[in-house]
Amino acid sequence: MGFLVTTLIFLLSGGVASLLSLLCCNRGPSTNLFHLTLVITATVCCWMMWAIVYLAQLKPLINPILSGE
Amino acid sequence: MQIIIVFTKPSYYSAYTLHPMKIKRCGEMSRKLRFLKEQMLKAAISTSSTQLSGTSLDIDDLEIKLGELEVELTEGNANNEKLQRTYNELVEYNVVLQKAGECFYSAQRSATEQQREMSADQPDDSSLESPLLQQEMLTDPSKQVKLGSLSGLVPKEKAMAFERILFRATRGNMLLRQEPVDETVTDPLSGEKVNKNAFVIFYSGDRAKSKIVKICDAFGANRYPFPEDTGKQLQTIQEVSGKISELKATIEIGLAQRDSILKNISSEFDHWNNMVKKEKAIYHTLNMLSLDVTKKCLVAEGWSPVFATSQIEDALLRATVDSKSQVGSIFQVLNTQESPPTYFQTNKFTSAFQEIVDAYGIAKYQEANPGVFTIVTFPFLFAIMFGDWGHGICLLVATLYLIIREKKLASQKLDDIMDMMFGGRYVILMMSLFSIYTGLIYNEFFSVPFELFAKSAYVCRDPSCGDATTEGLIKARPTYPFGVDPVWHGSRSELPFLNSLKMKLSILIGVAQMNLGIFMSYFNAKFFRNAINIWYQFIPQLIFLNSLFGYLSLLIIIKWCMGSKADLYHVMIYMFLSPTDDLGENQLFPGQKLVQLVLLLLALVSVPWMLIPKPFLLKRQHDQRHQGQQYTMLEATDESVTELEEQHEDHNEEFEFGEVFVHQLIHTIEFVLGAVSNTASYLRLWALSLAHSELSSVFYEKVLVLSWGYNNIIILIIGAVIFLFATIGVLLVMETLSAFLHALRLHWVEFQNKFYEGDGYKFAPFAFASIIEEED
Repeated sequence: MGFLVTTLIFLLSGGVASLLSLLCCNRGPSTNLFHLTLVITATVCCWMMWAIVYLAQLKPLINPILSGE
Repeated sequence: MQIIIVFTKPSYYSAYTLHPMKIKRCGEMSRKLRFLKEQMLKAAISTSSTQLSGTSLDIDDLEIKLGELEVELTEGNANNEKLQRTYNELVEYNVVLQKAGECFYSAQRSATEQQREMSADQPDDSSLESPLLQQEMLTDPSKQVKLGSLSGLVPKEKAMAFERILFRATRGNMLLRQEPVDETVTDPLSGEKVNKNAFVIFYSGDRAKSKIVKICDAFGANRYPFPEDTGKQLQTIQEVSGKISELKATIEIGLAQRDSILKNISSEFDHWNNMVKKEKAIYHTLNMLSLDVTKKCLVAEGWSPVFATSQIEDALLRATVDSKSQVGSIFQVLNTQESPPTYFQTNKFTSAFQEIVDAYGIAKYQEANPGVFTIVTFPFLFAIMFGDWGHGICLLVATLYLIIREKKLASQKLDDIMDMMFGGRYVILMMSLFSIYTGLIYNEFFSVPFELFAKSAYVCRDPSCGDATTEGLIKARPTYPFGVDPVWHGSRSELPFLNSLKMKLSILIGVAQMNLGIFMSYFNAKFFRNAINIWYQFIPQLIFLNSLFGYLSLLIIIKWCMGSKADLYHVMIYMFLSPTDDLGENQLFPGQKLVQLVLLLLALVSVPWMLIPKPFLLKRQHDQRHQGQQYTMLEATDESVTELEEQHEDHNEEFEFGEVFVHQLIHTIEFVLGAVSNTASYLRLWALSLAHSELSSVFYEKVLVLSWGYNNIIILIIGAVIFLFATIGVLLVMETLSAFLHALRLHWVEFQNKFYEGDGYKFAPFAFASIIEEED
């Protein structure tokens, strides 16, 4: 699973969540916008967190050195 | 929008001046209610709200009833007090009669005996008992002295002083006999229980008597007449004890009657209290209304949410029908210059987040509400500092308990800390969910890593794995797909790796959130059609922040993707110090030097761009409006005088150019310095998350694993208990609090200062529910 595939998964799950929020609790344009904002912000935050950690491990500059017991 | 509601005057408000009277009456009624409550507290009767009153009282009836009750109770209390006092006096009298009797007789007998048989030999014991009197008798035997006596009770602690003073005042010409009373007696004056001594004083002469009486009064010694002859004495004792039992019965009946009255009140008390509170609030509000010119109707000006317009109209219509008024109320939208209050509709989920924002400042009317993003970003920033999915699950369980028992807990009265937790239960829910997510990313479950998503990417260099502890492992598989590779945990290079990762993570997240804040200022400016703010504030701010820290973020990502060993500190520092120098081995991409030069220039240009044009443009705008409005003033002749005056005041507002310029200068300096300090401030994410993971791994390894190593069940249990308490006390309570506070700060300062003015005021609608709640 590369960077793009997982990003796509995030994108899809964000899209599905947005759709669900639109379908399940459709309560007028203002509330829908509010729900969409929440879903998108949450998705972006989670994706950012994942992406940063993933990218940081992509090409390691230091290797794990096990502590000798 | 501002609305005006015109009420027709209801018939029962005969005059406008009635309202202060009504309010006074309500105040009086609530005073009476407080009095009743006090009485109930004294009688230890609690208010029971179980009975919903079947009898509906009118407020006027209630007033009469309260008055009656108050009079009844005060009279009862006064009577009771009087009776109690008499009762106490009688009890004291009784004690005196009993106690003083003994010493009185022994003393008097000896004294009279002495008088009679002066020449004869005296018995030894009597001489011991009355040495002073005896002395007097002996020195002056021929003189016939009439002996008087006083008896009473004196407080025990004053007895010594009492005796001394008496002795000095009469120069020893008296005899005092004291006898401690075994049980405490109630003082009739103060009503307190005190230990007392019964005393009998024998004296001679009227002058001595008046002196002694004065001294008795000064010492609070109650005097009681003591009949000298035995027959009378017996009679008195009988009389007194008869009176005592009589009084006791009377007092008990009085108390029982009072209790029954109070009990009746207690079932209705809450109902009455609410009624009075409501009435008072209604008249307070009515007092804010004004009479119109014809003095026939009341005018109410106020704010209402646009969506509630139809509800208000309905309510007014219903009121008209209910009060059988011939003329309906008129509901009219009013145009005004005043800035309206801010009202965000919240539900139980969003209200706590909105409170976080409101604690910083209430949004200006129609300003973008940071609360929307706060719902996600606040728990997210918290979770970055609190990344451990084991701890996250603990928090989740705790908050789910609160949420499931929501209805039950909401009706209870909770103590301060519980109340705070309960109020923020949905905030904690979001925090725990994000903690579980970031915990999975950090790969920590009570600081223990799991290979949940794939096998670790790292393997030994050779099959023997000999140099795993010296040279380290080597990456052979694809990167661990989700979160931190479990192999890092416990390795010697864990800290350098995690430090670098979390520091960069903090900067990236921080720059992203600050950019979000700047974009919010764009939307604010767009909504208020403020082109100046877009062109001379939003754009230079965006350029400044991103040409420095946006570029740094970009470098971080490029470095990761390329696996370059370039030193980013060096790059950033020399971008300022010597931008024309060659980057050498620190170059990450071709043409980097040119890009850096351009970015530096942009950043330098954006500072005066923020500073200089805006004040001048504002001045021009003001001048233009000033001219324009002078014309409209002449046109607006049909408007009321007050409105003209108001507008006039607006016109006279001088444009203080210096002030505006200084304001802009401060704003610019704040932003430029803030860009640096705010970015640095986001490093707290790194510090706190590192502290959290280190603490939890210390607790795990030094307590749980160590106690496991002893192979002893008792040590293991002790270790587990210590681990449990350390985890709950330090990690789940203290760390949660500190991470919460830091997330709060990042939102209030670093995020909101980019766009949020927060100088509005809250919409405070009139509601009975809040009135009843607030005073409890």
